[in-house]
Amino acid sequence: MEELANIPWNLIMPILVLQLILAVVALIDVIRNKRTNGPIIMWVLIILLVGTIGPILYFVFGRRQT
Amino acid sequence: MTELLRVSQLSKIYGDNKVVDSMTFELVEKTSTALIGPNGAGKTTALSMMAGLVTPTEGTVLLKEEENKDSRASIGFLPQYPKFFPWLTAIEFTEMAARLSGVDSRIVQSEAQKTLEFVGLGDAMKKRIGTFSGGMKQRLGLAQAVVHKPKLLLLDEPVSALDPVGRRQVMNLLKELQQQTTILYSTHILNDAEEMTDQLLFLRKGELVENGSLSSIKEKYANPRILIEFESVEEAARFLSISTWTLASKNNFVSIDPSHQQIGMTEVLAALHADSFRIRKVEWQTANLEEIFMKVVMSS
Amino acid sequence: MKNTGVLVQKEFREHSRNFKLYWIPIVFIILGIVEPVTNHYLPQIMESVGNLPEGSDFMWPQFQGTDIFVSLMGQYQLIGILIIILAFMGSISGERKSGTATLLYVRPMSFVSYFFSKWIVINAIVLGSLWAGFLAASYYIRILFGPVAFGDILKFVGTYSLWIVFAVTVVLTLSASLSTGAAAGLSILILFVFQVLDSVIGAFWTVSPWKLSIYATYPLQGDSVPTGYWMSLTLTVVLIVLLFILGAYMSKRNASKTTV
Repeated sequence: MEELANIPWNLIMPILVLQLILAVVALIDVIRNKRTNGPIIMWVLIILLVGTIGPILYFVFGRRQT
Repeated sequence: MTELLRVSQLSKIYGDNKVVDSMTFELVEKTSTALIGPNGAGKTTALSMMAGLVTPTEGTVLLKEEENKDSRASIGFLPQYPKFFPWLTAIEFTEMAARLSGVDSRIVQSEAQKTLEFVGLGDAMKKRIGTFSGGMKQRLGLAQAVVHKPKLLLLDEPVSALDPVGRRQVMNLLKELQQQTTILYSTHILNDAEEMTDQLLFLRKGELVENGSLSSIKEKYANPRILIEFESVEEAARFLSISTWTLASKNNFVSIDPSHQQIGMTEVLAALHADSFRIRKVEWQTANLEEIFMKVVMSS
Repeated sequence: MKNTGVLVQKEFREHSRNFKLYWIPIVFIILGIVEPVTNHYLPQIMESVGNLPEGSDFMWPQFQGTDIFVSLMGQYQLIGILIIILAFMGSISGERKSGTATLLYVRPMSFVSYFFSKWIVINAIVLGSLWAGFLAASYYIRILFGPVAFGDILKFVGTYSLWIVFAVTVVLTLSASLSTGAAAGLSILILFVFQVLDSVIGAFWTVSPWKLSIYATYPLQGDSVPTGYWMSLTLTVVLIVLLFILGAYMSKRNASKTTV
């Protein structure tokens, strides 16, 4: 595992931070809006478990626009 | 009696379907007019054409206005089910509506606030419309329709979706607006029409079948009768045998059509008294608006 | 055009409150960072994951910084354009269908202003996201692969941006003309299928908007200006103008289809 230690985490950090922001914004929206296409719990799980794509899937397909 | 709106030969044809068929009428300034007809009579389409939303197949809508001015600036329109951007607040939406309708940017904010307070949304103006109930949306709909002080207010079924309390409140608002502007509203609820109207337009299958003041239409269709209830069938028969008037009878009831016979209540009562008929009740009957509606609109 | 400001403000509020103003740039920036990082650390990642055969001495291609810009553009061509289509396909058709457009259309509003307000705000969000993504990528490429001449990056991003404006205009014009579903389908046809067709049988011509993404890379490859480059730019600008006029016209023509 020493190869992983060689990876400079300060370069990777911004990715993780941005992904976290994305997931948090999506979660706040899903909880505040409470209106989704499909079950709300499904979208919470997708946001939390499907990596970067999860929040995007929510914003594009899960979010009720009106 | 200044004329504000002139609608001539207004028609909308979708395929073979004449939704609105050569509608012609005028509206006088600062009057209220009810557009009455059953569902599917073409009320919404007619109002949409006047609001400039739907292009007429034929005919014209002419608003008396200064030249070279977009007439939509002088019209306020409330659809039957107004839809709002749920992510805007009530004040943001009303201000946007006012700006788009050309209200001076220096007074937009105060005008929007005043209007929201007028419709009773003063406390909710900073809330997002997405959180509003149906009644609140209907009032916001009214606010956006009047915020730019339009000369003509077009309202499509303004109260039919509301509960009795909301309906009373909105009717009261409309009565206040009646003093300041010209209102044309559609409805299928005749109590509303009877309560607030100077002119009635009856629409049937897209055609304007009757146009007149409430009193003139009532007079025309009211069909007054004098109805006498005798104590017995024999008494009724006795009356029939000696009376010289044109009568109709059933059991112990006799009805008299006074309109062509130059008789009134006084003559009838005198005749009944002279021969001491035994009666229970004498009544002057006229049709109410609902009966007139059924007669005018539902026939054929 | 006096109403343009009000409508632009409305569009900005809309995209701020539905979070498109935030999540689209974040996604573009993530893509811009991930591309150089994974390419640089790919050998190490593969080794640490450890599913290479024992003793194999695989030669990883030696990437230049310029290659990473090109492969990042490949990501934007797929994911970026998909996001543009999905996020903005209902911009006008959705307002018509839900009926929220009705209370705008009954006002003395010019449909040129209406279409322009959407066009300018969507382009601002998308181009801002694209530029932020390339900026983040430039920083990482500089650290991991060495510097690339700034002028070349600028020319590359500039050309590619015009293609993106074209893509946005296509999506918005289709949304003005058709229902949301049809607009999405036709956008995919025009922006993806035509792109593939152009690369397969496009050897017969040099002037086409679908060639802009390939032409855009010429400064990075150290090539001279390709034949048909300027003509393609001009044609794309002309098409954008024509699509804009069509879009404004179609929003007006379809105004009566709004739900009342």
